[in-house]
Amino acid sequence: MKDWRAIAKGNGIEIPAKDLSRIAAVLDALEADFRPSVKDLCPELEPAVIFQADEEVE
Amino acid sequence: MTISQAAQSLRAHRLSAVELTASAIERIERLEPTLSAFITITAERALESARRADAELAAGRDRGPLHGIPIAVKDLFYTRGIATTAGSPLFEKFVPSFDATVVDRLEAAGAVMMGKLNLHELAYGITSANPHFGPVRNPWNPERSPGGSSGGSGAAVAAHMVYAAMGTDTGGSIRIPAAFCGTVGLKPTYGRVSRRGVLPLAFSLDHMGPLTRSVRDAAYVLNAIAGHDRSDDTSSRHPVVDFVPDDGCSISGLRVGFPENFYFEALDPDVESSVRGALARAESLGARITPVRVPDIAAHNAVGRIILLAEASALMEPHLHQRNHFGADVLALFDQGLLLPASDYINAQRVRRQMQREFRKIWSEVDCLITPTTPNTAPRVGDLTVSVGGRTEEVRMVTTRLVRAMNVLGLPALAMPCGLSAHGLPISLQIIGPAFEEATILRVGAALEDSGVSIPPCPIG
Repeated sequence: MKDWRAIAKGNGIEIPAKDLSRIAAVLDALEADFRPSVKDLCPELEPAVIFQADEEVE
Repeated sequence: MTISQAAQSLRAHRLSAVELTASAIERIERLEPTLSAFITITAERALESARRADAELAAGRDRGPLHGIPIAVKDLFYTRGIATTAGSPLFEKFVPSFDATVVDRLEAAGAVMMGKLNLHELAYGITSANPHFGPVRNPWNPERSPGGSSGGSGAAVAAHMVYAAMGTDTGGSIRIPAAFCGTVGLKPTYGRVSRRGVLPLAFSLDHMGPLTRSVRDAAYVLNAIAGHDRSDDTSSRHPVVDFVPDDGCSISGLRVGFPENFYFEALDPDVESSVRGALARAESLGARITPVRVPDIAAHNAVGRIILLAEASALMEPHLHQRNHFGADVLALFDQGLLLPASDYINAQRVRRQMQREFRKIWSEVDCLITPTTPNTAPRVGDLTVSVGGRTEEVRMVTTRLVRAMNVLGLPALAMPCGLSAHGLPISLQIIGPAFEEATILRVGAALEDSGVSIPPCPIG
């Protein structure tokens, strides 16, 4: 489990303590669901985001 | 009356566009105090458009099936000179200087715009219990949620305030309100419909599509709005076809996939029996029902949530210091997104590509999949948890369980009503197809609808 309070503080993100405690468990559960998908990614797999150097300009 | 029936009546001079519009205004004024489906009603402007539509038809200028038909759009679509609030006080005074491409195309097709529809705040949630503009209510039972985020769109179509409404779908936000309100809802392929001029929630997951009273009506709207838009980087040049299924269209021999895993687990029993009934109907129409195993959809959902949280928080980051401008549920999601590391977002987009490749293999076995749209029927307004199939879970997690993965994959998905629960609430099935195969899923939907897979009209007023 990550220390979300420390992450927020370290990144200068201002989230009130009561709001942080409400979302910490949700984020922990999401991390647990997500992490197994990442562990075997091969290096040549590129992200599914778009950047085109020849972007059309109106 | 559907769009095609109204269009026939207009051309047979049994009705005028002004009469259709006046009738819609009367219905909106009567039902709006109960439903809160609209944020802005543009009655005068609509009557003016209707008069123009009638004059054009009389002069022999026919713009097609949407000509003179009353419609409305979610208040996320930019409308020139009309406030576009996104259901948030942040945008309460925002008046765009241009129309969204979708709005442009609908108006070019002759549709009569009735106004801007209520939604979950910033389209970031599935209840449409908007704390700033009032909670949208379900026309089937105002004590129930209409779903969201396009809740006003679902309510307005189900209550026959308009013939069609535009929604957006980032994690199920067209299909969920369609399911809970008993309408058809179409999420086209990512890139099929322009995103220009629609306030984003998550750039790489947002889809625009119609909610309608019938499957063919959804196809008429898609015909009007589909196609490449050079001002949207993600807009596809894939060829646009006529999406409207023929009368008496056949699905004989079509391979309809029935997922053996995930999609039929932990369902409301009424939902399960209705969707299985529709599958049996498809088989009786000659479709080959083919059991298939789908990849890990729970993992797809986790990837979708990471991408959504990160993109949405990046978008709204400049406003997040104004914490009192956000509802508590929405603010909690934005806070979560701020705490995710950039590496999680990038890796989620990498996993997404891998998932896209794996899922593509299914299309060598089947032509489409049929699943339930939601495991549950409309929850009570204000309920935070729901028990379905022996499990008690957060309403949001249950309701998005079967729809979110198709935003990750960008695949077209059609929600259509297929029964009523013991409580008299709509049940919906979802037809999923390969990328850019909207014509196939609409054909399957129309064939089912023609064969009697449908529900009675909503009984409200």
